[in-house]
Amino acid sequence: MDVNVPDARLMPDTLAPPAAFSGRGRRFAWTLLLLAVAFGAVPAAIVGTGSSYLAQIAITTMIFVILSASLNHVTGTAGLLSIGHAAFYGIGAYAAALLSTRLGLPFIVTLPAAGLIAALFGFLVALPTMRLVSIYFAVATLGIGEMIYVILLNWIDLTRGPMGIRGIPPIGLLGWQADTLLSRYLAVAVIAVACVWVLHRLTHSYYGNALRALREDDQCADSMGINVERLKIESFVVATFFAGVAGALLAHTSAYIAPDNFRFMESILILAMVVVGGLGSLPGAVVGALFMIVLPEALRDIGDYRMIAVGATMFLSILLLPKGMLAEGTALGFVRRSFSRGWATIAGGTPVGWK
Amino acid sequence: MRKHAVLGAVLGAMLATIATAQAADREIVIGYQAPLSGDRSQYGEMFRNAAQIKLEAFNASGKLAGAKVAITFEDSKDDPKEARNIAHKFLDNSKVVGVIGDFSSTVSMAAGEIYAAEKMPQLSQTASHPDFTKLSPWQFRNITTQAFEGPYNADWILAAGKKTAAVIYIQNDWGISALDGFVGGFKAKGGTITATEAFNPGNRDFRSILTKVARQKPDVIYLAMFYEEGAAFAQQREQLGIKIPLYGTSSLYSPKLIELGRESVEGLHLATTFTPDNPDPAVQTFVKEYAARFKSEPGMFAAQAYDAVGIMLDAIAKAGPSVTRESLRDALAATTGYPGVTGATSFDPVTREPAKALARMTVKDGRFQVVTGP
Repeated sequence: MDVNVPDARLMPDTLAPPAAFSGRGRRFAWTLLLLAVAFGAVPAAIVGTGSSYLAQIAITTMIFVILSASLNHVTGTAGLLSIGHAAFYGIGAYAAALLSTRLGLPFIVTLPAAGLIAALFGFLVALPTMRLVSIYFAVATLGIGEMIYVILLNWIDLTRGPMGIRGIPPIGLLGWQADTLLSRYLAVAVIAVACVWVLHRLTHSYYGNALRALREDDQCADSMGINVERLKIESFVVATFFAGVAGALLAHTSAYIAPDNFRFMESILILAMVVVGGLGSLPGAVVGALFMIVLPEALRDIGDYRMIAVGATMFLSILLLPKGMLAEGTALGFVRRSFSRGWATIAGGTPVGWK
Repeated sequence: MRKHAVLGAVLGAMLATIATAQAADREIVIGYQAPLSGDRSQYGEMFRNAAQIKLEAFNASGKLAGAKVAITFEDSKDDPKEARNIAHKFLDNSKVVGVIGDFSSTVSMAAGEIYAAEKMPQLSQTASHPDFTKLSPWQFRNITTQAFEGPYNADWILAAGKKTAAVIYIQNDWGISALDGFVGGFKAKGGTITATEAFNPGNRDFRSILTKVARQKPDVIYLAMFYEEGAAFAQQREQLGIKIPLYGTSSLYSPKLIELGRESVEGLHLATTFTPDNPDPAVQTFVKEYAARFKSEPGMFAAQAYDAVGIMLDAIAKAGPSVTRESLRDALAATTGYPGVTGATSFDPVTREPAKALARMTVKDGRFQVVTGP
């Protein structure tokens, strides 16, 4: 795997030039292109077609981009297979819904609070489960996910159980409210881009290398002086924080939430996004979310065979691209080159390490 | 150049034909969202079958001159996030004047929030959540809740000259709503409740409850539970030699009740919306047509959908071929005495809750039979 490229900092000075060679222009070109799609092309398409359907799909996609990118952080990069991600998404959604409907707190408070509460639960779950490895950890997260779902369903005094919570106010900031679908999309897109950017900086760094090291061999990483347990807990807490943020966005954009939004199948859907996109690849997680939300909608017109077609497409994509649409190695090289995050060893050579 | 002119002429002619066709026969579309794939697809399938029968009959009847009604089905997978997408898809389609669905309350309400904000009439055949019709004046449902059934049964029991009742109910949200509905209605009309006893879901031993309740000698025992518990309850009542008559909620209405309870459930009374044995010609036409086309007997869910479609088509016919979302909503709200297979249905113009004339049934000679007298 080309994730284990030599660390530029360990190289002799003659080999590692002080400044990046691969031009700044390219870095900005890619950043600008992505921002132009999220804040230019998609809003233009929504306004141009006047389609509220498109806007709704764009909002759902953005929320799932956060979920998929955050699950990729813990499952893809750090290698802890979590199949209870939807539960933390649910905790965030309920936290935001309850704080805004019962206490009347504004969005600017409920958004980070939802993330922090989900992260707190993530921390509590991580403490006893971090010694578990591979499938054992997966089963533990499965159990915890189901437990949280059942609590949301049965703690009627707090969550109103199967009745759900309605009347959640829309996203707003200092008196401004996202009343239209377009403004809702823009608000969600800003937050989603910010979340992905934070995850990008965490993943594409020496910190990310440490996570990848413990995924490949945690005992070896331990012997090299990496605090394995702490890193695992951190990655889980970070992932659950962003899941909570995604939950808050769902609550504030849909006005009504119920435990059915956070069933086990939702966890599986998020995991499928990560795997189809490319396990361990952040750009892959984004593409995977896009693919798994847009494809079933695009196939709506074929009627009854829609979900069979979706399943077949997933099957073929994993059969033909077992490492995902954007495999981790490719993705890391792409980020190093196109976002100028790696050190160029010699002019025009393969960039290595992280800036 | 000439080529272009010819092409233009052909295109123009085509457009003109389309335009005249539209003027002659406007296409009115009803959106139907239901789980057509996934865990709950069997319900969606029943809804679609029943809806097709009703729609074809309506278009053939010529009740609506100058327009043709079509139904577009969308698969929600019983998933709130798909339901929200569908809601916007229907809203974007200017031909869609009203929506039927979804199946479960959660999913109906997820879409309902959007229909409420964007002003689209929505009629669910099954959403029984108390808040569903409170979302906005645009939500309707064609299913009665325990808040309706309880007082209905209370009236029936009192009309039969029975003045005191004991209530046995299952300890969950549904059981509590059934208890509240019945006790409220019974007391309001002058009846006396001798006891209310709860049991936990899964319990099959009612002997202690029966002994305790029988001591106060109520005129009837009212059962708010499902058929498994109902059958066990009736058998234990028989074993203990208690002769107090049983009344129950519509949830007991199942052939399994008689299969499990045998002779012990003889004489049990309940009121239900739909029964395939109902001799009413409307019911018999539906049951025969459904059985002939889909090789199965229609159940309560198919009947609910059949009537939901019927109610909406009726409202469209009343609003006329120029029907809009607005006028359809008003026509729906004015629904009174719609002669459906689930009983004559009226919508309360303020709360938009349905009121139905329920079919009164009793178990006689080992099968459910319609009661005609009190």
